[in-house]
Amino acid sequence: MNRKVKISLIIAGGAIFILLIVLLLFRLVPEPPVVSVSKAREALSAARLNKAGTYSPVPYREAEALFDSAMANWQKENKRFIWFRDFEKVKKFAEMSGKKSAEALQSSTLNAEDLKTRLIHRIDSVNNLILTLDKLFNSYPLEPEIRTRISKGKLLLKEAEIEYKKGEYFRAGNRLADSEDLLLTSYQSSLANIEEYFSAFSLWKKWIDKTVSESKRNRSYSVIIDKFAHKCYIYYNGIRKYEFTAELGINWVGDKRVKGDKTTPEGHYRIVKKLSKSGTKYYKALLIDYPNKEDTERFRKEISAGTLPRSADIGGLIEIHGNGGKGIDWTDGCVALTDSEMDIIFDILKVSTPVTIVGSAVGLQEILKGK
Amino acid sequence: MKNRISMGIAALMMVAILVGCGKEPVAMVDAAKAAVAAAKTAQADIYLPAEFAALQDSLDVVLTEIESQKSKLFKSFSAPKLKLDQVTAMANEVVTKTGIRKEEVKSADVGLLAELTTVMQENTGLIAKAPKGKEGQAVLEQIRAEMTEIQGSMTEAQTLVDKGAFMDAHNKVTVAKEKAVGINTELKEAIAKVKR
Repeated sequence: MNRKVKISLIIAGGAIFILLIVLLLFRLVPEPPVVSVSKAREALSAARLNKAGTYSPVPYREAEALFDSAMANWQKENKRFIWFRDFEKVKKFAEMSGKKSAEALQSSTLNAEDLKTRLIHRIDSVNNLILTLDKLFNSYPLEPEIRTRISKGKLLLKEAEIEYKKGEYFRAGNRLADSEDLLLTSYQSSLANIEEYFSAFSLWKKWIDKTVSESKRNRSYSVIIDKFAHKCYIYYNGIRKYEFTAELGINWVGDKRVKGDKTTPEGHYRIVKKLSKSGTKYYKALLIDYPNKEDTERFRKEISAGTLPRSADIGGLIEIHGNGGKGIDWTDGCVALTDSEMDIIFDILKVSTPVTIVGSAVGLQEILKGK
Repeated sequence: MKNRISMGIAALMMVAILVGCGKEPVAMVDAAKAAVAAAKTAQADIYLPAEFAALQDSLDVVLTEIESQKSKLFKSFSAPKLKLDQVTAMANEVVTKTGIRKEEVKSADVGLLAELTTVMQENTGLIAKAPKGKEGQAVLEQIRAEMTEIQGSMTEAQTLVDKGAFMDAHNKVTVAKEKAVGINTELKEAIAKVKR
């Protein structure tokens, strides 16, 4: 064998040896957990995008911690000598993180959807509560504190609705809870107040029945004023012929006790005088016989009991008069109708026509049912 | 001769290993992490949530890639380095954009507050115009209570603006303005009825 062949064989052998060594080096280097960690990262990212941190915080935080553990272990293993690295733990943590992220993603979707559904029902229910409050109490004198609570509750509901529209369901829920609390407690205390007022309903009902019967029996006109509904009903022959909107005294709730309390009295009265032109400043007026016997008796009892001062005046000059249609309660205790309505009743009602003024012609339960 | 060949092989192996040993871009990683943290401090997660999520994601991708390179026999950090630069630049851009967005929301808040103040002043004037003797009326009482609450909301919104919580202030002032405008209309209608 000549020298050239020898050298060639040695070079070839050396090359094969190097190749084998390189192959061995590659073979011995453990496969890095790129796929597992990438999958885990993608899953975590998807969960994060789906607000799993908010709507499914426990599994999301676990997934995050597992991912951090995978990365920390990977870094730790990378510090070891290349052939001694073991990525099994990294893969395990990454896979566990991926599973937790998927779980967080799924549960956050469900939780957000569930929260969304519950919120919309609660928002609807609070809106209905506001409608009820407005219907029952908009013209009903309430304590200023209650009015403040209602106003605050309404503002908070609007804020909750904005958060809801933005998809911030937790924030919406918090605002809504505050709103519910304010509005519900206001409703309950206002309802207790109105229930107390309506405790006289059976008496009012008797007065109404008596007035309608009288109208039927005498084939005559009679007037019923429903203070709660702000209505003036004109009956003829026991049948309701007219229905007008009535504006009342500023403090219309309750019975009139004393001059200047700006309350519209409750009871059986009769028209005692018809006034027009220079006789009244309210276009036309029908003066009623307030105070009647019952009013005077109750007033005296209150004076005797000391619930009213001896100097108190029972008042008078309660009328059904014109200049109404303002949409608010503004009189000192009278009942105001529009001038055109006054034209109608002024012509048909005569002196001695019964005028019954009640807190309500309809029971509270019925009002609440029809709210 | 044999010695020379062994030396040659050893030298080749060393070269191969050394060539493969790219240097881990520690400083660049720190810079990128700091830039993302700065974006969070700037409240990018509140004002630009989608951009901030993308930024976080990009950083995670690069960190995974770096670890992946570190696990290899022949490491190459040129691609992760490029991406780290991109992440840092993106983070800086998000910080700038967040500042712009914050300013936008802030000026919207300030504008809304100014408009609200005007409406509330008008409402106060309208309430004062209501004829005496009508103040006890329940609806007007409710309006007064609502105006007090709106005033409270305005103060809260101003406090939030002063604290830099422009987004929270925005919700509050939006609702308050909506309510104040509603009251304005209601009052004008009520006064028109009274004037009839």
